[in-house]
Amino acid sequence: MEHNINKHISGRFNEELENVRNHVLSMGGLVEQQLNLALEAIAENDADKARKVAENDIRVNAMEMQIDEECTRIIAKRQPAASDLRLVVAISKTIADLERIGDESERIAKVALDSFTKDQQDLLVNVENMGRQVSKMLHDVLDSFARMDARRAFEVHKEDVKIDREYEALTRQIMTYMMEDPRSIPKIMDLIWSVRSLERIGDRCQNIAEYVIYFVNGKDIRHISQADIEKTL
Amino acid sequence: MITVAPQVNQANSQTKFDLENLSPELTALEIKNLDLYYGDKQALKDINMKIPKGQVTAFIGPSGCGKSTLLRCINRMNDLVDSCRVEGQINLHGENIYDKRVDVAALRRNVGMVFQRPNPFPKSIYENVVYGLRLQGIKDKRKLDEVVERSLRGAALWDEVKDRLHDSAFGLSGGQQQRLVIARSIAIEPEVLLLDEPTSALDPISTLVIEELINDLKNKYTVVIVTHNMQQAARVSDQTAFMYMGELIEYSDTNTLFTTPVKKKTEDYITGRYG
Repeated sequence: MEHNINKHISGRFNEELENVRNHVLSMGGLVEQQLNLALEAIAENDADKARKVAENDIRVNAMEMQIDEECTRIIAKRQPAASDLRLVVAISKTIADLERIGDESERIAKVALDSFTKDQQDLLVNVENMGRQVSKMLHDVLDSFARMDARRAFEVHKEDVKIDREYEALTRQIMTYMMEDPRSIPKIMDLIWSVRSLERIGDRCQNIAEYVIYFVNGKDIRHISQADIEKTL
Repeated sequence: MITVAPQVNQANSQTKFDLENLSPELTALEIKNLDLYYGDKQALKDINMKIPKGQVTAFIGPSGCGKSTLLRCINRMNDLVDSCRVEGQINLHGENIYDKRVDVAALRRNVGMVFQRPNPFPKSIYENVVYGLRLQGIKDKRKLDEVVERSLRGAALWDEVKDRLHDSAFGLSGGQQQRLVIARSIAIEPEVLLLDEPTSALDPISTLVIEELINDLKNKYTVVIVTHNMQQAARVSDQTAFMYMGELIEYSDTNTLFTTPVKKKTEDYITGRYG
């Protein structure tokens, strides 16, 4: 079934839904920018960029609150049903995850405030690689949200396994490093937190993919296997 | 520490029936291949549905879609329309109510009806409630008093009128009059109660009182309600049937119909879109 949000008899309702959807896309854009800025800060060891991420997080938080209020208003005034209701619910959950991705980006950026030795730089490169994968996942899930494309969302959903594998490999590598050089532990701890944050962003992108599928197909696919999700599409 | 998984409160969750394969003991009404014509115009087209016992079933759809016509078929109110012709069956207890041998007056005693505008008789509150019983020839004062109290309590009106039972029914507010009419219907203990837009002439608070009443009534009666107010159907009913141009488009449990309808026409209607 096609879900055209601008076909309501009430033009005002069309406008309200269109606005809230656009605001989610802007918030998504900002969060994506935050993650990329955090990754750049690490790659370039740029403390200014890291501080910029922290500053911008206030905007992400404000957007979450604004969109939440818009959703509440729509529920109160329009009593949305069926796909409209699912859209509002999906949006309200998506922005909560986006806000947390914003927080994780801030944590990742903190790594750029430390200085690392030449050896440790190698680890950083691996973190950046993982970061690029996560950033692509975020980009793709936002794209699936913009197009309201359940198939595309499912593709992103499947990506998370790769991120989890990367996380395990990287954690192992970092632990080995710590064992070899215990004096590095305090600094490396920051790094391990950022890797953990990247892994969490992957999970949150997966959540958003689930909301997109819920909106489009009306099916709650949380906590079921990928094979079973495939069958519902 | 939580050691036991929290129990989901089942009190408000509705039992989901398999409406297509509803067993006879759970079925109050079965509508089979029902066609209805007003003169040459076909107003209902091949309606097939089973209405479960002790549940609230709502009919929704745009004006002229046939929902009121279908409701009126259930107690043969359409017989009063000259040009009306009905084909097919409606089974109550497995017996076709359109069978020639059926006593229509008895059928209507068993299938009560409440209309859009409250229509109390120009009599006292008491006499309104006992009207049906007097027609049946019941004179025993104690029995009548008992029915009045039980019916008014059943219609959530007793506390408001118990001190003025012999005042005119016209002195009541619209919402109270509608509850009085419901009390009058349940005084003769029907099995099925048909409500044709029962709150469309009432203010929002009286509407909520009636909706609450509908929820209480379903423990004893099978309720079928026609409403133009979709949120009302969503609030009060267990099953919802969406009708469009004389056809039954979608019939399923209310939770499903209002969150994930299957048919595009249903989706467009309940979300207020152009068809």
